[in-house]
Amino acid sequence: MTRHSAVCWLAATPVFILWWFSAIPAHAAPAPDTVVATKPLSEWIVAYQIDARVDPRRKTINASEILTYRNLTGRPQDTFPFHLYLNAFQPDSTFTREYRRDNPWFVWRGKNYASAEVTRFEVAGMGDLTSQIRFIAPDDENPDDRTVFQVRLPRPIPPGESVQFKMAFHDQLGEVLSRTGYKRSFIMGAQWFPKVGVWWQGAWNCHQFHADTEFFADFGTYDVRLTLPQNEIVGASGEEVSNENHADGTKTVSFHADDIHDFAWTADPSFRVFTDYFTGSAGMVKIRLLTPPGHVPLAARNIAILKETMKRFDQWYGPYPYKQITLVDPPHGAWEAGGMEYPTLITGLSFWWMPRGWHSLEEVVSHEFGHQYWYGMVATNEFEDAWLDEGINSYTEVKVMDDIYGQDRSDTDLWGMREGERSFLRQKYLRSADKDPLTRFAYQYMDGRSYDDITYGKSAMVLLTLEKIIGEATLQRALRTYFLRYRFTHPTREDFLKTVEEVSGRDLRWYFDQAVYGAQVLDYEILNARSEPVDWPVQHALEAGPETLYRTTVLIHRKGDFLFPVDLLLKFDNGEQVREHWDGRDRWVRYSYDKKARLVSAQIDPGQAVWLDRNFYNNSYVVAPMPGTRRKVSSYWLVFTQFLGQWLAWLV
Amino acid sequence: MAQRTGILSEGARRVWRYQRLLWWFFFTNLALAAFGTLPVSTALGRVADHSLYSQRLYQGFSLSAFWELAGNPEVALWSRLSGSLLFALIFLVLALFLTGGILETYRANPKPVTGDFFQACGAFFWRWVRLLIFLLIVLAPITIAASGITAWSDMLSQDAPQEKLGSWVEVAGMLCATLLMMAVRLWFDMAQVHTVGEDERSMRRAVARCFGLTFRNFGSLFWIYFRISLLAWLGLAAAVLIWLRVPAQRVGLSFVVLEIALLWWMGTRLWQRASETVWYERHSPAVMTPLPAPEVFVPPVPAPSPEGTI
Repeated sequence: MTRHSAVCWLAATPVFILWWFSAIPAHAAPAPDTVVATKPLSEWIVAYQIDARVDPRRKTINASEILTYRNLTGRPQDTFPFHLYLNAFQPDSTFTREYRRDNPWFVWRGKNYASAEVTRFEVAGMGDLTSQIRFIAPDDENPDDRTVFQVRLPRPIPPGESVQFKMAFHDQLGEVLSRTGYKRSFIMGAQWFPKVGVWWQGAWNCHQFHADTEFFADFGTYDVRLTLPQNEIVGASGEEVSNENHADGTKTVSFHADDIHDFAWTADPSFRVFTDYFTGSAGMVKIRLLTPPGHVPLAARNIAILKETMKRFDQWYGPYPYKQITLVDPPHGAWEAGGMEYPTLITGLSFWWMPRGWHSLEEVVSHEFGHQYWYGMVATNEFEDAWLDEGINSYTEVKVMDDIYGQDRSDTDLWGMREGERSFLRQKYLRSADKDPLTRFAYQYMDGRSYDDITYGKSAMVLLTLEKIIGEATLQRALRTYFLRYRFTHPTREDFLKTVEEVSGRDLRWYFDQAVYGAQVLDYEILNARSEPVDWPVQHALEAGPETLYRTTVLIHRKGDFLFPVDLLLKFDNGEQVREHWDGRDRWVRYSYDKKARLVSAQIDPGQAVWLDRNFYNNSYVVAPMPGTRRKVSSYWLVFTQFLGQWLAWLV
Repeated sequence: MAQRTGILSEGARRVWRYQRLLWWFFFTNLALAAFGTLPVSTALGRVADHSLYSQRLYQGFSLSAFWELAGNPEVALWSRLSGSLLFALIFLVLALFLTGGILETYRANPKPVTGDFFQACGAFFWRWVRLLIFLLIVLAPITIAASGITAWSDMLSQDAPQEKLGSWVEVAGMLCATLLMMAVRLWFDMAQVHTVGEDERSMRRAVARCFGLTFRNFGSLFWIYFRISLLAWLGLAAAVLIWLRVPAQRVGLSFVVLEIALLWWMGTRLWQRASETVWYERHSPAVMTPLPAPEVFVPPVPAPSPEGTI
């Protein structure tokens, strides 16, 4: 959108407002000309024009919205569902019920109450349909949940035609909870406007807001005008196209964005703004960081990791086509707003005391930027296939962080303690390895922890293990292909899996059926490994010489129900190494060798590439015990116990 | 001569002179902790001794390898905490028992014999139990206040306009709580010294008297206690800094450094005890007297009857 077109739009706005609220029926109109762009990257199904007046003191938003919807469903549509996400923050909502179910310590606090109310609903050419608003609960039939409503039109919208919904709505923001709300003077305006559902796979897809679900929406254009006090510093999806002060002490900041499927904004008078630029294969991208005063010392870290991540995504997966990325660092106490992604706007998460060796700040920024690809552009259904955005993104986050910091310290490198990002995610996986398959709908997981552990942790382990099967470079090519092929669309899980199969040239169903669609646990162990003289009845091992023939046996056991081919490496004391490959299908296998050498060690998965294996400790067996670890950990435990005793003795 | 030396140096001299007490105390602590660690070590050995993956903990300290080891069902490290706690509690009881003997030793001149030591241990054990109960009663409100400060600072960390305010309140609050606890500990230390010095049998009276004694002389007493505490913390910090520089595979050296830190920690506590005893000797309102010597049963010797009498 050019500056000229923005000015035209601004000039036309009062006329539009008068027009919406007049009772004059109007015909379904095409999308406003202001959303014309040179070359759309996505299929524009929606065009939102929102004019919002924000009252930071009351934490309210009064807005009008014109939604132009193109019916590309291929059939007439007379019923349209809409999300009203803010109504999730009410005591009897499905969100709160589920949150309480998983977190018994959670106490409902009145200040978390939020609501969104559509005060007027018109359809161009069909009049006022406010009375037709019906709240529905397609997922759990909770009559108290008001996060989805639908409206039945008097006559259907033919295929290929557009319809204009004109709404007025009032938001009451709550103290920040689950991504949105306020904290002191900070406001995170996310999921704040009525948003139409997605016609997908032959039906409307418009889920309620659950404790563990994110979002799903169609691509289009957004023209949003925010009117708020002049001291507010504002950031939003898209690009700022105008900023106009008014005599009453307010200002109107206008934003425009193409080819996105959600719009979020933030405002706080205390924000400090930092600007930088990244030049990628699609040109220059403006980086805008909004950070609270206390986090200014962390600004350089935030920007540095963002640029490093953008560089790698550009090289590995494809271009970032937007002109701007806004990074918001929420202030203290507003951490619920942190670590979240919206198209062209992400929120980080930092604390003033964060040491450099703890890479949590970098992880969050890297992860959220990754969502610009896996969610922002490749817009999968986060309600139904959360692993496609969170999982793939966790995997690519591992790749980026490992590339920057090193595999063994990409998460933590502090005071002699080290941990890699993949190991951090593996701990999540281990907690819930057998609870749910990746393909479970986000709100149908056993609980919030399982959702978190499986969608982030297990998904990353599944893809890291896939590297062993098809190779790291092939998987990177597959992801690039997947991105370039499906950006600005809503691909399914099968689209992703088939792309991997296609690029790798391998039939991977055996793996996907277990790792993606199943909840099987992978665990192979070396049950037994030893060497003894072949003529052991007459010759004791201690009497053996260099010519003694030993029989070495190694027994491998499949403890889990996940079938996976096993590589085995045997080392003998004469330096000889033997590699074996077992298809892993039976419950166990025994290898036996007669050699003039004794076994030193046997190791499953010697490259440690099967990250789905639940227990790395039983993957190897060293014949001669190595007590170093036992002594080390025991000594720490001993000192801890002594200290505990001394500490208690202080009471005496 | 003792009057001419400083209280701290005289306290240190007594700790050094009776260093056998420190060594016994230390090795008892070590032995009990070793008992508590034995099952952990056995379980660790079963999983780690023959595993190449465990080398990540030996050659460095991989956090993920540690978490996986701790969470391994055969190790179940966290469920073994109760074993450590049990042996720590046994050490607490032992410390209750030994404190009487230790204070008697630091007080007595000349050095008491072993029998006197254990007699004092037995004589004061139940009095220390009662004193411990009083101490816990006094510490309870401080602990509650500390919890309240933590909750308040958490709230400030969320809601206060200044981001660091909550952290500073937490630090200041914990500092105040620590100083208060040190003051209370000092008060009860003096009650113990007084009890041994005067063979006081009523702990309530000892606590009451020493409240006045301690807080009338709070400056000098707390200065003694605080300086030694500071040295204890500095020594611990230095040991941790050295320990962090010990190569990962030098398990023995690492253990020795940590043990020296614990020995120093324990030694400074005994130093406080000895210094408080010295202070009491020099400032107590009553003259400290050694415990009466145990009565020795002397069989009556029949008096010789005067010759010639009937």
